[in-house]
This record gives sequence, C-alpha cells and structure tokens, in this order.
Amino acid sequence: MGLFRKKRAGYKGCHFTGVAGFHAGREAAGMKKRNGKKWNKYLYAGIVMTGIAVVLGVLGFFWTPYSTTAMSAAEKFSGPSLRHPFGTDNFGRDIFSRVMQGLGTTMVISSLVVFCSGLAGILLGAVTGYFGGILDEAVMRITDALNGFPSILLTLVIISLLGTGRQNVIISMSLVFTPSFVRIVRGEFIRLRDADYIKRARMMEVGKFRILFVHILPNIFSVFWVSVMIGFNNAILAESGMSYLGIGVQPPDASLGNMLSDAQGYLQSAPWCALVPGLTIVWLVLGFSLFSEGIRRQGAFDSGQ
Amino acid sequence: MIKIEDLSVAFGGTEVVKHVSLELRDGEILGIVGESGSGKSVTALTLMGLVSEAAQITTGRVLFDDVVLREAGKPWDSALYRKYRGAEMSMVFQEPQTSLNPTQKAGKQVEEVLRLHTGLSGEEIRARVLETFRAVGLHEAERVYGSYPHQLSGGMRQRVMIAMAVILHPRLIVADEPTTALDVTIQNQIVELLRKINQEEKNAMLFITHDLHLARRLCHRVAVMKDGCVVEEGTAAQVFDHPGQTYTKRLVEAVPSRVKGRTGSGSGAGELSAAEDRKEMTDKVNEGGSTGTPILKVSNLSVYYQDGKDNQPLEQTEDGNGKKRSLWDRIFRKKGQCVVWDADFEVYAGESLGLVGESGCGKTSLSKAILGMNRHIEGEIIHSSTRPQMVFQDPYSSLNPTKTIGWLLQEPLRAAGALDKSLDMTKSDREAAAFDMLRRVGMDERYFHRRPRELSGGQRQRVSIAQALITNPGFLIADEPVSALDVTIQAQIMELFLKLQEEMRLACLFISHDINVVYRMCDRIMVMKEGHIIEMGKTEEVFSHPREDYTKLLLWG
Repeated sequence: MGLFRKKRAGYKGCHFTGVAGFHAGREAAGMKKRNGKKWNKYLYAGIVMTGIAVVLGVLGFFWTPYSTTAMSAAEKFSGPSLRHPFGTDNFGRDIFSRVMQGLGTTMVISSLVVFCSGLAGILLGAVTGYFGGILDEAVMRITDALNGFPSILLTLVIISLLGTGRQNVIISMSLVFTPSFVRIVRGEFIRLRDADYIKRARMMEVGKFRILFVHILPNIFSVFWVSVMIGFNNAILAESGMSYLGIGVQPPDASLGNMLSDAQGYLQSAPWCALVPGLTIVWLVLGFSLFSEGIRRQGAFDSGQ
Repeated sequence: MIKIEDLSVAFGGTEVVKHVSLELRDGEILGIVGESGSGKSVTALTLMGLVSEAAQITTGRVLFDDVVLREAGKPWDSALYRKYRGAEMSMVFQEPQTSLNPTQKAGKQVEEVLRLHTGLSGEEIRARVLETFRAVGLHEAERVYGSYPHQLSGGMRQRVMIAMAVILHPRLIVADEPTTALDVTIQNQIVELLRKINQEEKNAMLFITHDLHLARRLCHRVAVMKDGCVVEEGTAAQVFDHPGQTYTKRLVEAVPSRVKGRTGSGSGAGELSAAEDRKEMTDKVNEGGSTGTPILKVSNLSVYYQDGKDNQPLEQTEDGNGKKRSLWDRIFRKKGQCVVWDADFEVYAGESLGLVGESGCGKTSLSKAILGMNRHIEGEIIHSSTRPQMVFQDPYSSLNPTKTIGWLLQEPLRAAGALDKSLDMTKSDREAAAFDMLRRVGMDERYFHRRPRELSGGQRQRVSIAQALITNPGFLIADEPVSALDVTIQAQIMELFLKLQEEMRLACLFISHDINVVYRMCDRIMVMKEGHIIEMGKTEEVFSHPREDYTKLLLWG
C-alpha cells in the first residue's frame, strides 16, 4: 500500500494536517511575526485604500474644489497641474472634483444595491431554504430564469421599462443581484435546518420566525458576509458599466462610468481624462477586495464553529 | 521487531507525544488505550510515517528490525518508508466511509496495492484480491470486487480495508480504532477477524482503541497513554485486573461493566449510596408504575420512512397523531417504507427505558415519531408531558455556536413563555433559573457568558442536558448521549443523568448501542431489530435470561 493512497484516504491524516496547520500558523505568528504581518498587510492596504476612497466620496457630496459642472473653455484639456491635480476634461471641468462626486455616487448606489439585494436574499433564501416545498420551487425557478439572461441585458431591459435615473438603476441592479444572494442563503439554511441544535429549538417549540432569524441567521453570517463583499465589488463594476453605456447616472452628474465614456474620444490627446476614472475604479475595487480578504484572513467572520 | 525508543513528537512547540517507548514482537497484539488527545494516534501515525510535515520528532527514534526509520534531527526519508510501508507494515483506519475512494470500485483499490508492490500480471492480481476478500470474510467476493464503496455496508468496507492491509502479508498491522464506527455485532466480527489474521499470519498488530473491553479481549499486551505519556504497560490481564497507576484505575472503573453490576461504580462511596437510593426509588416506581398512568404510552405504532427530500419542515404536533395527516400529505406523498412495526410500550415517571439495537433498526425513527418530528405514522402516541426533549449524540453540533450558554439555557423558557402566557417569566427569573440549572449539571457559573466553542465535549453535553431539562419536561429522549465521549467523561455524564433523573423524577428513553451503558443506566430494556421490538423486560432479567437469539448475540457478542 503506497503512501499516496493512505494520505488521500486517511481520515486521521487529514485531521492531523489541520491541527498541524493551525499550530504552525500560531507558531510562526508568535515567533517571527512575519506571517502575522503578511496577513495584516491585506487588511491595512485595504483599509487605507478604501478609507481614502470613502473620505473623498463622502466629502464629494458636500464640497468639491471646483463645481463639478462649471465649464471653462480656457482650461479645456489642461493636463494635471497644481491647480487641477487630475487635469480637466473636454469642457474644462475639474476631473478631481468630478471623480470625488463620482466616487460618492458609485459607492452609495453599490451599497444600496447590496443592501437591498442582500436583504431580499436573506428573506427569500431563509424562507425557501427552511420551508422548501412549492414556494421554494417557484422562487428557485424564477432565480434560474433571472440567471439565464446575461445580467447586463437584463438591466437594460429593466431600465428601458422603468426609465433612467438613480432610483431605477438601484432597482434594476438589485433585481439582478438578488438571485446569487438567495442561492447562498438558501443553501446555508438547508444545511442548518437539520442541524441538531435547530432540531432541539424545534422541540422547544421556538417560533418559526425566531428559529429562522435568531437561531439560524447568525450562523450563516460568515458565509453571507463574504458574498456581500464580493457583491459590493460586482456592484461597483456593474454601476460603472451601466453609466458607461449611458443607462446609469445621467449627465451632467458625474459618475466614473460616464466620465470614461466621455473620455474615450480623446484617449490620445488627453489620456488623463480616461486614466483617472479608470484607475479610480481599479483603486476602489482593489482596495475593497484587499479589505475583505484581510478581514477574512484575520478570521473575524468565523462564527466559532 | 518494532521498537519505539523515547519518542517525542511536537506540533509547533507543543509536545503531544512525550518520551514514549514501546516494543512490539512478531505475532503479538499490543493495544494502546487512552482517551482522545492522549497521543495514541499520533504515536501510530509517526510509526507509519503518516504524520503531517508540521510534526517534529524532538527526541527518540523508531526502529523496524534494527533499521532506523525515523530519528530525531534526521529528515524524513520517503524512499526508506516506501520500502516498508505496504509490504512490511500497513494500517487500518477508523472511518470505513472515508478511507476508501468513493469513485473507484473496491476491487480496483485493493488491486492498486499489488500493482505498486508486486510484479504480478492482471489475472494473478485479480485472483489474489478475490482470494484475500474471501479470507477476510467477504463471501460474495466477486460482487464486492465490482462494487463502489457506497454500495457496501460499513462492516464490508472495513473488511475491504483490512483486505487491503493484509494482502501483502505485512509483518505489522496498525489498526487505529478499526471498530469504533461499526455496530456491536459487526464490531465483534471484525475483532474476531483481526484475531484470526494475527493467529494465522503471525504478524504483529498495534491496536489503538479507547474501548477497554475491546483491548482486553483482543490484546496480549496493553499500553495506557495519558497526555502523551505511557503511564502503564503490561499484559492485558495485569493492567486491567491490577492497575498500578491511579489513572488506569480510574479508567478501568469508569467503564460501565456488567461484571461489576449496577451498584458498583466509578467515583466512590457517596455515589454508591446514590445508586442504592436510586434502586429503592425505582423499585417504588415500579410498584406504583403498574397502577399509575404512564408518562408516555405508545400503542400499535408504525412509522414510515419520510421522503428523502423532506420538503416540509419537521414540525411538532401536539399529540403526534398520525391519522390527522392533511389531505395534501395523502395525495402527494407516498407512504414509503415502513421502518417501525407495531411498537407497543409505556414509559413511567422516574424510569429509564433502554432502547438497544444496531444502526438502521429504527431506533431513531421511533424517537423522531415520539417527538412528533415524523408525521408519517399510524397508531397512537400519548404523552402526558409537555414538550418532550431530546439529547443528541454529538455534543459539538447540538449547541448553537453563535449563542452564549446563558442564552441557550434561557431559550426554552422564552419559547415556553411565548407559547403560554402563564409560563412567561421576567428576565431576571429566567437568568436565575439558568444559573440554577447550570449548577445542577455540575458546571461553574462563569460558563454563563461563554460560547459553546470554549467548552469541552463533556461540558457541552452537560449544557445540552441542562437545556433539555430546564423546562422540567418530565420526559426525555437521550439518543446515544455518551457515545461520543471519552470513558471517564462518559461515566461523569451517566452519573449526572442518574442524579437528575432522581431529582426531577424524569422518565427517560435511553437509546444506545453500548450494552454496558444501557445496563448501567436503565431499569428496563427494549431490544429492537429491523423495526420490530423483539424483546422487552427488566434489565436484570433480559441480561440474565435473554429470550431471543438476537438479544444474546447483542449482549454477549
């Protein structure tokens, strides 16, 4: 019997690898701090990048260095300078100010989308996962149908039905994002509905609502939080994409996506017009990814199982 | 033949095996006994060279026929191990479910061993595998050969694993709890098989177990491990009959045993009188019981298998009356297979009824039906207790990991209060009750604000019991409540059960596959086989004069 078979097949083998991994991690963190620092790098980088973006975005709602709509023929296409750190665009508007406003808009829309679709996902997923039956079938077939379309096509259809505008962007994106949350929450509820402690809660005749949201829900937090993080990043990208296509935030309001689409005619003469909003999107998504990865590695989501 | 000299193994600074020295001669079965975390598995895995890379050998060495396999400070030599492993030494693991690759046929997996280690042709290999299958008691060798692991029963899978381990006639077989996951009757067969192999092949065997009975039956010599150290070593009879160390004594005494009788028990004189008191009490109960009304009365109950999909939530019905099945159920659900036939029994206040049987005999289905979690039933279940509770086997999954112990203990009271306004309590009353219950199950008050993950298995089981009893339900179903625990903890939890039962006049349906535990705990026993209750009676009577052959088999192996 070879080494391979046993390592693969051995239950004990797997078990001990786990224990060893844990100890090794702890030892390295304690002795050299090298590993520990490496973990936190994700978190620190994420916090710094996300923090800057959030501060700029929130500030952008109240104050920007220049008006985001003030045009100036004299300063058309001026490159980055002290006066305009990121330069100006084809109407002579200050790109830095517009990025600040765009950041705020994008983040607010993305957060609301994740909030709405996450909430809907929890409600639908909990009920369908726990109770199953006809309702489950119906909801799952609807989510299958929603998943069957390319998401951008679906949003286009919904926008064309509802018309453009921030509110409708949020509604349509929430609809598109809900199915993935429903699936994740449903899966977790199915997994946990037959757990021993839930069976016991049922025997105590705890109310159904209480079982769903007090007994089970905290246990899916770790899984759900990860999907919220991913969902938020996807929402940022989707919102930018929609603005780029002209179905998101409408001009003259600034958003990162429509800044990109405005700039694509001047890629060669004024590259900063495209680079700045593009890099801002990268900054935002990357920062948030690092942030969520950092938190995940810290094990802050582990609900203690 | 095998020599382990002064071996210490450490995982990242913590030593889990400390200066262990063992010797194993040809044809000898050495048992390593100890509770979980005592380092017995790590010792065996180190011997086999299967510990993970993070394990460091800090002192000592492992010798096989005077060849040094591993030594402190020497790097791991995989080429050397390859030569020995399989051909000279092999291993049988605990979980037959996970030890076989589910995507390959059993025969192919055993063949692979031969293909790697011998130069036999395909036909010869096949013949040899079939021959080995027959030798380990797989009578339908051809069928097993072409089956996937999931098509085999647990016992058959373990036999396949044993076939895989012995096919090259190794001189050492390491068996790591090979029977723990199996039923009692299968367990006996496997033990006999190992003994037979040992006698015929004259190979050495290292038998790791937490079950002292097994060790005593099978092993020539026994080493007792605790916290990574070998505390005692000697022949099986010597160690178990005249334990030299206090720890071994405690271990031996903790094991419930028929030989010692029901009054003899673990922790000394005070407990002894408790057991006597209890006997008196149960006698009283039995006298009164014949006239008194039963807490639970089950008559002509048949339970049907639920749809695999189990779409509707399992709900509690007030009386579990199956005839009230809704129209919906009747139209859309097939009745399914009957798993319990015509069960007919009663449980009286203050009494423990033991339910014994192998896995799949319908024990769990019966308990689910009683709790009203399975409504596919016919017959009558009447219980006079409100909300019968259940204690599960696995202490790690029966407490909600996100809640504190205090919260968990108060939840039944909150639920009761929400259902019935007269039972509603104030927050401080609930907390007081929770603290009181925590004390009664023998736990410190400071655990009130802890979460389950900070507790050991035994403590969790205590909390589970407390949670089940805090509403004073009068009737409790305990589904293998001590099977997942170590022997000494097992004894403590059983004591706790007996104590609480006496204090609260609790009726209990005690499900177990461990005959000794049932003997210790129960006033009456009910034996189940393939869905039928085949025997029922007072514990002593059933044990001394079993009527059915099956009961004899179950009781005495």
